[in-house]
Amino acid sequence: MNTEVLLAVGYAALLLGGALLLEWLSRHTHNRSQAWRTSGFDYDAQHDFWVCHKGEQLWPTEFDREKRLVRYRAKATVCNACPAKVDCTDSHHGREVTRAVDSWPHSEAGRFHRAIAVMLVVLAVFELAVVLVRNHEPSQIAVLLPLFLLALAVTWWLAVDLIRTPSNFPEAKPAHGNRIGAK
Amino acid sequence: MEEKSARRGFLLSKGWLQAVIIVMLLGFTVLGILAYRTYEDGAPVPVKVLDPQGQLLFDGDDITAGQQVFLHNGLMEYGSVFGHGAYLGPDYTADYLRRSSNIAIAENGGPPVDEDGMELADDPDPGPASDIARQKTINQFRENQFDEESNELTFSQTQTDAFNKLIPYYTRFFSADNTENGLRKEAITDPEDLRNLTAFFAWSAWASAAERPGKDYSYTNNWPPEPRVDNSPTANALVWSAISLVALLGGIGLLFGAFGRYRDLGWHGREQTVVSFRDPSTVALTPGQKSTAWFFFVMAALFVIQCFVGAAVQHYRAELTSFFGFDLAAILPYNLLRTWHVQLSLFWVATSFVAAGIFLAPMIARREPRGQGKLGYFLLVALAVVVFGTLIGSYLGIHGVLEDAATNWFGLQGFEYLDLARLWQVLLVVGLIVWVYMLFRVMRSRLRREHPGNMPWLFFLAACAIPAFYAVGLLARTAEDFTITEFWRFWVVHLWVEDFLEIFTTVMVAYMFVLLGVVREKVALMVILLDIGLYSVGGVVGTMHHLYFSGTPSEHMALGAFFSAIEVVPLTFLTVEAWSFLQLGANQESKSTSDFPHRWAVMFLVAVGFWNFLGAGVFGFLVNLPIVSYFEIGTALTANHAHAAMMGVYGMLAIGLSLFCLRYMIPSKKWPEKWAKVSFWGTNIGLAWMCFATLLPLGIMQLYKSVDDGYFEARQLDFLTDKTTEMLEWMRLPGDVVFIVFGAIPVLYMCFLGVKYTIARRGEDGDGRGEADAELFTVISGTSMEDEPPEISGRPEPTPGT
Ligand code: HEM
Ligand SMILES: [Fe+2]
Repeated sequence: MNTEVLLAVGYAALLLGGALLLEWLSRHTHNRSQAWRTSGFDYDAQHDFWVCHKGEQLWPTEFDREKRLVRYRAKATVCNACPAKVDCTDSHHGREVTRAVDSWPHSEAGRFHRAIAVMLVVLAVFELAVVLVRNHEPSQIAVLLPLFLLALAVTWWLAVDLIRTPSNFPEAKPAHGNRIGAK
Repeated sequence: MEEKSARRGFLLSKGWLQAVIIVMLLGFTVLGILAYRTYEDGAPVPVKVLDPQGQLLFDGDDITAGQQVFLHNGLMEYGSVFGHGAYLGPDYTADYLRRSSNIAIAENGGPPVDEDGMELADDPDPGPASDIARQKTINQFRENQFDEESNELTFSQTQTDAFNKLIPYYTRFFSADNTENGLRKEAITDPEDLRNLTAFFAWSAWASAAERPGKDYSYTNNWPPEPRVDNSPTANALVWSAISLVALLGGIGLLFGAFGRYRDLGWHGREQTVVSFRDPSTVALTPGQKSTAWFFFVMAALFVIQCFVGAAVQHYRAELTSFFGFDLAAILPYNLLRTWHVQLSLFWVATSFVAAGIFLAPMIARREPRGQGKLGYFLLVALAVVVFGTLIGSYLGIHGVLEDAATNWFGLQGFEYLDLARLWQVLLVVGLIVWVYMLFRVMRSRLRREHPGNMPWLFFLAACAIPAFYAVGLLARTAEDFTITEFWRFWVVHLWVEDFLEIFTTVMVAYMFVLLGVVREKVALMVILLDIGLYSVGGVVGTMHHLYFSGTPSEHMALGAFFSAIEVVPLTFLTVEAWSFLQLGANQESKSTSDFPHRWAVMFLVAVGFWNFLGAGVFGFLVNLPIVSYFEIGTALTANHAHAAMMGVYGMLAIGLSLFCLRYMIPSKKWPEKWAKVSFWGTNIGLAWMCFATLLPLGIMQLYKSVDDGYFEARQLDFLTDKTTEMLEWMRLPGDVVFIVFGAIPVLYMCFLGVKYTIARRGEDGDGRGEADAELFTVISGTSMEDEPPEISGRPEPTPGT
């Protein structure tokens, strides 16, 4: 087995590992960012409501189709009288919390990380293909080909998922700008 | 404007401010002490170097002159000394050390060498005679014959003979009548220059092997690795590698432990009720803001030029001797292209920062005094003069058109990253001061009303640090001792870039989000101060991670390793924790009554967070431990880190800032959303491909080669022309094409649109909307204005929820 083949196999494995690591890290960041938004609130998955740190419950009020999320809201009367309101919300209609319906990656940042992960496995495919062209004795093929196929499969799996998930960003509507206060 | 005597108080508790000030003071105190120690205990340049008979071989002035020959001919952009410089050519410290020790071994009775000082074949007689010869050589090179009283250094006989034999070798190399090495034909021909250049190399090789007084390691902490003179990693290098590794892991653990639960900090996820984004093209632009359209256009043009220059630089590595059959080196030798590439990277990023500052200031202050536009154009012209002066100067310098002093002032000084001639360097500092003045005149009245710890002041102070720390580079003079010039150079390369640009960035980005109404001022301020504090804990003293082996005392290595490892902590933290809240901008879930206008600007910021983590944090730390750096310095892993961090963080940021501003210049109907998207994916995929397809694997192979075979071998051209290496060098091609075609060119096109529509809007100033305060405001929201002065009207009623 020559060194080039060994290096190629090792590096392709590293790329695959890197892609998976990135997936995990990105998911983690994303959850963190969700946690940030809803920090101070606990979600009860069984009964589908949130509890704020003052013990008030927020129940679902709306399903936003365009953005694919559920909105939960606390009672306006309770919130407006709450001493913690300043640090919680400006709304006079009760604090709102959202929960995304789509599985990750539903945000565009998640899609970005996913796309980089896809690129890493595509690179592994590309690299293995180049090395296969340069080294194709049977024993070398026996080592390179399985990894090549594996990388292809991972590419497929990640890419399909990426294409399926929407960015959740409303399409730009140029003339749609709000002019409050402009005149 | 009415004077208000009352300032707005500091928004947070005083402890935040005190902590940051203490961190800064401590950091710079330590750095000050290390500066002193560098002058005291840096590798000395002897007044005279004598042969064993006491005859003068060369003197200190020759070494200095040789250093200037090295710098002024752009050789630091071809090869390196003490590991710092470019990577196509050899490291001349290691190169001279290898050849001279070979010559010494031969003279001492070991295997013979050719006229270049290279062994003829494998040791033909590895018997006792050879062992004795090797041991003798080690003793001759390690024994320090420098007399601190008289400042005279005495070479052993073998060192003397090696010097005399290597002058012809370097003469042949640098005056070669061809461009095979990537240098221009007959690059250096003056015999005195060549002798001085050899003296400079000889000095650096001496310092790399001779033991410090009272120590068992050399001035360079035994760098480069070289068994012929018994150079191997010092105990310090090992110990501080281990300690800094622990510091990193511990730091990350601590930080996550402390900040894992926001609740403890009282950082509730506060609801952004209704954010209503004003259509950016209805926001009035001031003359100063309009002038930035041209800045961004220049920025994009420089970016594109840098890419093409970079492609040519790369071509030298993939195919050294011909450029698709054309002798490129005759006109644009490698080192000229490399200095252009490196200088342009700083120039275009700086241009974007300068422009974004000018653009944001009136949004913050809600006013702009007369004449700002004119000042803007003046600054633009000055910047263009500096940039093109630098490019032309380095052409003239490297082609040998200018003479010594003229080269220094108008050609190039030749320090990697500070290559530009002194005249342009001074002008650039002056330009940046003018820029700070421009910000000051806009912000003056706002500053008067604010506590110095609040965001307007932080914005202004962070801007002040930019000329201040760039100016430190003026302390690096070509005639100064090399160890000292390196010390000051890294105040710019590291402190200026990694620390103060990063701080200015955070302030600017946080401010953008506050202006957009997606982040509250208090939270933004918290993030900024946390960021400044965390960065400075590691980043200030961390500067020394570039100076492990440059002839500085070993405490530079110890402190540098320790503190720069801590630098990674905030990078991890910011990425995983704090930046994720900035992603809120990309992830608008509240119901806005209008679209979020800065989709791709924010996406570029998301990319900045990613590259900060990967390029600076991971790839930076990969080369950061002294024990790794010992074998790695000056190889492809550094290039890998430098590209991922410099382009990934500052490049992406520069583009993001330009998109943010362009969004206000280009009418919404004409906004090139598709191009923004293409450039986002093009730059990011292209850069990631470049790193992962070529730079990272090549770097790993080169590091392996360095540990296994030797540093000298790893830096040889035949490593680069090895078959697998060559394949790797070609692998990056698809990425480079994507980067340039889909990444850089769309940016240029968008910036062109900015100029086009700004010109079209020229007459608009007079149509009655003028520059009324509120018009400079970008967003109307329920949250962002709570602390704002009362004169702003137009606060909307919160839209009722459904
Ligand atoms: C955005 C942040 C950063 C940028 C823009 C950046 C940029 C650079 C550049 C351009 C170089 C090459 C300098 C030269 O060739 O002389 C470099 C070298 C280096 N960087 Fe960074 N860097 C960043 C962050 C970091 C971090 C966080 C670390 C470590 C934890 C780090 C560690 C190093 C080391 C050790 C070197 C020296 C490698 C050598 O000289 O061979 N960098 N950096
Ligand atoms: Fe650094």
